[in-house]
Amino acid sequence: MNGYLVLEDGYTIHGEFHGGDAQVGEVVFNTSHSGYEEMATDPSYHSQILVLTATQQGNYGIADKFWESKNIWIRGFICLEIQNSARDSGWLHRLRNANVPVLSGVDTRSLVLHLRGAGTQWGAVVRADSEAAAQDEARRLIRTAKQERTSKATADWTKAVSRKKVEDRRGHKTTGPRVAVLDFGSKENILRELELRCREIRIYPSDTKADEILNWQPDGILLTNGPGDPADVRDGIETVKQLIAYNAGCKKERDKKFIFGICMGHQVLGLALGGRTYRLKFGHRGSNHPIRDRLLNRVYVTSQNHGYNVDIESLPTGVDVTHVNLNDQTVAGIYHREWRCLSVQFHPESHPGPHESSLLFDYFTEQGCHGSRSN
Amino acid sequence: MPRFKHVKKVVILGSGPIVIGQACEFDYSGTQACKALMREGLEVVLINSNPATIMTDPEIATRVYIEPLKEEFIRPILQKERPDAIVPTLGGQTALNLALALEKSGTLKELGIEMLGAKSDVIRAAEDRERFCRILDSVGAKYPRSKMVRSFDEAMAIADELGLPLVLRPNYTLGGGGGGIAFSLEEYKNKIALALHESPSHEVLVEESILGWKEFELEVMRDRSGTFVVICSIENFDPCGVHTGDSITVAPQQTLSDDAYQSMRDEACKIVNAVGVETGGANIQFAIHPTSGERYVIEMNPRVSRSSALASKATGFPIAKIAALLAVGYTLDEIPNDITKVTPSCYEPALDYVVTKIPRFAFEKFPGSKDSLTTQMKSVGEVMAIGRTFKESIQKAALSLERGPRGLAPVAVSEDRLATPNSERLFHIVQALRDGRSVEDLNKLTQIAPWFLEQLQQIVEFEFVISADRELTAHTLLKAKRLGFSDAAIAEIREMNERDVRDVRWRHNIRPAYLQVDTCAGEFASQTPYFYSSYWSKPAPRTATSKEAIVILGSGANRIGQGIEFDYSCVRSVQRFRTEGYHVIMVNSNPETVSTDYDTSDELFFEPLTHEHLAEVLSHTRPRGFVAQLGGQTPIQLAPMLAEDGFKLLGSSLNTIDLAEDRGRFNEICRSFQIAIPKSGMATSVNDASKIVSSIGYPVLCRPSYVLGGRRMEVIENDAELESYFDRHRDFISEKTPCLVDEFLERALEVDVDLVRGPDWHVIGGIVEHIEAAGVHSGDSMGVVPPQRLKPETERKIEEIAVRLADRLEVLGFLNLQLAIKNDVIYMLEANPRSSRSVPFLVKATSIPIVDLGVRAILGHSSAQVRPERFQWRKIDRVSVKGVVFPFKKFFEADSILGPEMKSTGETMGRGRDYSEALLKAFVASQLVLPKEGEVFLSLREKDKEELLPLARELVSMGYTLSATGGTARFLRNHQVECEEIKKVHEGRPHCVDRIRSGQVALVINTTSGRHSVEASFGIRRSCIDYSIPCITESDTAISFLTALKRSRHGEFAVEPIPQLHKI
Repeated sequence: MNGYLVLEDGYTIHGEFHGGDAQVGEVVFNTSHSGYEEMATDPSYHSQILVLTATQQGNYGIADKFWESKNIWIRGFICLEIQNSARDSGWLHRLRNANVPVLSGVDTRSLVLHLRGAGTQWGAVVRADSEAAAQDEARRLIRTAKQERTSKATADWTKAVSRKKVEDRRGHKTTGPRVAVLDFGSKENILRELELRCREIRIYPSDTKADEILNWQPDGILLTNGPGDPADVRDGIETVKQLIAYNAGCKKERDKKFIFGICMGHQVLGLALGGRTYRLKFGHRGSNHPIRDRLLNRVYVTSQNHGYNVDIESLPTGVDVTHVNLNDQTVAGIYHREWRCLSVQFHPESHPGPHESSLLFDYFTEQGCHGSRSN
Repeated sequence: MPRFKHVKKVVILGSGPIVIGQACEFDYSGTQACKALMREGLEVVLINSNPATIMTDPEIATRVYIEPLKEEFIRPILQKERPDAIVPTLGGQTALNLALALEKSGTLKELGIEMLGAKSDVIRAAEDRERFCRILDSVGAKYPRSKMVRSFDEAMAIADELGLPLVLRPNYTLGGGGGGIAFSLEEYKNKIALALHESPSHEVLVEESILGWKEFELEVMRDRSGTFVVICSIENFDPCGVHTGDSITVAPQQTLSDDAYQSMRDEACKIVNAVGVETGGANIQFAIHPTSGERYVIEMNPRVSRSSALASKATGFPIAKIAALLAVGYTLDEIPNDITKVTPSCYEPALDYVVTKIPRFAFEKFPGSKDSLTTQMKSVGEVMAIGRTFKESIQKAALSLERGPRGLAPVAVSEDRLATPNSERLFHIVQALRDGRSVEDLNKLTQIAPWFLEQLQQIVEFEFVISADRELTAHTLLKAKRLGFSDAAIAEIREMNERDVRDVRWRHNIRPAYLQVDTCAGEFASQTPYFYSSYWSKPAPRTATSKEAIVILGSGANRIGQGIEFDYSCVRSVQRFRTEGYHVIMVNSNPETVSTDYDTSDELFFEPLTHEHLAEVLSHTRPRGFVAQLGGQTPIQLAPMLAEDGFKLLGSSLNTIDLAEDRGRFNEICRSFQIAIPKSGMATSVNDASKIVSSIGYPVLCRPSYVLGGRRMEVIENDAELESYFDRHRDFISEKTPCLVDEFLERALEVDVDLVRGPDWHVIGGIVEHIEAAGVHSGDSMGVVPPQRLKPETERKIEEIAVRLADRLEVLGFLNLQLAIKNDVIYMLEANPRSSRSVPFLVKATSIPIVDLGVRAILGHSSAQVRPERFQWRKIDRVSVKGVVFPFKKFFEADSILGPEMKSTGETMGRGRDYSEALLKAFVASQLVLPKEGEVFLSLREKDKEELLPLARELVSMGYTLSATGGTARFLRNHQVECEEIKKVHEGRPHCVDRIRSGQVALVINTTSGRHSVEASFGIRRSCIDYSIPCITESDTAISFLTALKRSRHGEFAVEPIPQLHKI
């Protein structure tokens, strides 16, 4: 079946359409060699059409343990080739069953070079007989979707992916801390990493008020990853502001709740601290981004997936930039020592990607949370 | 962390001559490292014994020593140079071992020299299996368990513990005799009994089998701050059991989940840290069980390796250069990524393509050796290809092998070739799929991951689509090209003409796009001039270059007869063309070379060397012309087709090439010049040949036309051998390709002459006098400059002939001549209208920049511009001897006797103040042990006895004892030379082979000829190879060896850097 990906700016590329409904989303590319299933189930990819630069996808099949949430969130899967043999076409089938349009046979390099130049934008994956027909339908779909997008009610994408109810989990470490998680669209592996290091975990919906979290008396609070524009996450920002205010108001150091943000959590923290965020031209998505970590005094390779960034100029005094993306020198981590909040733009929980930065979970649960208790 | 301030002068050790397992990838890494450190302002001293390398060009380092890589020669260099540090991680195992020896003897400590890149502890930790296993235990990594057993009962107990299948490795047997794999208990019982018996110490290592597991390799780097990155993951197409150097490999890895991959990555990091690798590159090999996912560590190398060269070319990340910078103190975040310029080097390359490497073998060169792949590496070279998918890339890689324009061509399937790993297996698998065998079936048989087999199946399935198309449609054609099919393959499948396929393709405007290797999958803009073709993208218009472009055709995979020497010519000429103001474009398919380093030329196209791929590169780049004289025979053979397409061949014309290559036309010219040529004729049958022989007489030299490296060339002494020759080579002799039957000039002196001719000038690069007489391939004979035996007037005559011939052939560029001298008559043997194997050796021996002069000749520079009289090859005050190294040890059944078919893999150079010093160094550099005392065993053919009598006398007077087989012993005793007589093999035991194997013999001189005697004495030579005893098979070599022996007894030699080349 003929299919097309049509971008907002009219750029159109042909491929083989493998079923699913035509869909609209923000078109982003990821340069990881492996981890398609993790990416597709990462809530941060909500409403996005995912382009993979690695050319052959689906090679190693599927496994439930790779799922990073309970859903496939992407709105389209674009690649050069997808595994589809009698022995194994598991990945293609999973995408189809989730009604995700799959377009293969796409010259992804040309597409990526275009996105790199023109920047992230909306696009639609459609089935059509001709390029012209595809463009007509795509234009219509994109227009409708953008209208929806700008309506106040749905602007905060984290609400679409966050848990609706509080969830409790028991950690494996009985001497570990009690950690509250503010769920903006958490990847499962953040929770797994916490389970390894914590005694108790309570996961709160993204619009939970600060009081409710504080009432549970956690040792630390983790702000998760999530999709969309951080500036739209108004409830979340408000909650985090309150949490910071609580810390600022604490007389004793040990009463403060260590806050640790990841990706969206980092951006929300930045905004709550009074900073600004801005949209990157085409984001950082891949498993090979170098970070200088001044906190742990290391340089390591990280997994990244974000389209927005915290503006270094906008940060108030008292905030240290502890992590820097060495590719473009953008802010990748901040720390307010007095208010005990730390956050990173990248993904210490990896999945996909290298594991070095998981040390930050140690830092959070040991120096961070335990520090709060013992001080 | 900036560069160490205390390190101002470093020594870099090269890897010596090209051998199997250690080839020109170390020229690539050494050259890169030298360049990087020179740019840092360090004083760099390079030591290597291999003259055929770019790294031994005097410009590459502050000072270059071409000296043997042995402690006794390195120590005086270190004493003279007093460097602050030595870098042992760039010259393969040779350099590591040498550094360890220098450390152990206290030399480094005494001279205050630091080891950079890897300390001796690290080297030992990775080398010493037991230490390495303890380290693996400490990080929780698993490895194949094994135990040394000494009795049947012990063996049964361990079988219980480890479980079947089990690998048996009897201790101290060579070539794995008595070993094997046992799949059932019954088989194990039988094999263990045999193995215990076979082992001289009755010890057998019983090891858990990982045969059939998937094999992976990670190329990693670490800096002294602890930053760790994986540059490239490599997956082997061939499962465990085949040496990774002999496996088809793919990058990046394709069949592991991120979870499995990251866990392997974590383990690699732990191992690198635990072994103690402080800075630099390392590789770690893993085996992963195909279903359970269980992972074992196979081995690690704490140094730059063959796979790091591959990984560098596959990703665009210059591992060796970065390793050198890390060694002198930088950290990865301080070194900018060469390719993007804006990002740092502490990242992991992302690939939006698939790379395939296929090794190239030379089993046909070693009759008797079995084409079977094991954990002992046997390949002599490799090709790499880049495509968007595995299918596109493996088809391109198959084309790069130069087996023919079809690539994955049909074969007659043999079950045996499928079931056990061998050099042809890929082709048999593809054919089996064509024949309808299922992926499942083939997976069971080969254990190759189904994913790979499915990819091949998709290629095969499309062959049916291609042939079923009623008319070749644009749709089918585009799809075929995206799958990597060549025009020739499509033509063959459709029974069309290749040109017609191309016409259809061009009519539909289906042309390749040239995509950039940019290390980041397009995420960042980059200007790297490193490209590969693919039909997945639309061709983009080429950005104009301000300078005129020149395309240089490379030499493809290393093979015996066409190796690093040709890459030397290519790289050197690239540099020259650039200096002359051209935009130089390099095309090659060999990942091991300096020529495929993206910063060697202005643009690099990593492409198969086929007519189709080159024609596309040429029409894309629109150069002034292309150069085919530098890459050996490969480009020479492609030149006519490209010229026919209208592309301009630079330098010597097609007519010149044809005049030199066409025997008939060439002989005509020689006759007209009254240059003697061996009497000869052309035969298409044995009857023809007999007629020719009746007029010229035995011995004769037979060979098929158009060959390189003396392929299938043999000296024939009688009718029976002639018949056997025609029988064995009947597939290569036809009306179109007749067999040449030449008079064989027995005992003649051979020489190589290299010259460059411009429009109105010429420069003789030098005359290399062969040490061995005619009959030994020029690539296998040792050689000396200046000649030691040639009469001055003969030398002058040779030069005269060479110049006249070059004029007559209208050479513009290089000409290599091979001549023989017998009874003062000069015979012309062959002419090669191109740069040759001897050129780099001559450049190092004479300091004449022959390649640069060749470039000026090709560009048509005049005598007034070049002033050729400045270059006088005889004006040298040093003697240089070319030594050779052979791979016999790797081929268990191969004979080490030399003949007209080339067998050597590499060369060395000994440079001395006189002949004996040069000889000594050449022998030592070629890994020959010069025994100080002991027994010399002789077995000589009749005609050598008289000649070698003085040698025997001298050996005795030097204190050696002699032993010999019957005839030789009697002859010696008759001439009052004391000698013990030993039985020949067929005379009963203990015989001479038993004697050699007993370790009693220190040196063997065994000359022989005639098929029958050669076969009878095989055991003598083979046992020498197995026990690493020097075995001399030619009388001239024996005399030279004696000269070197005498010199070594004086123990006096000098080391010195080579001089700068003459300014051009």
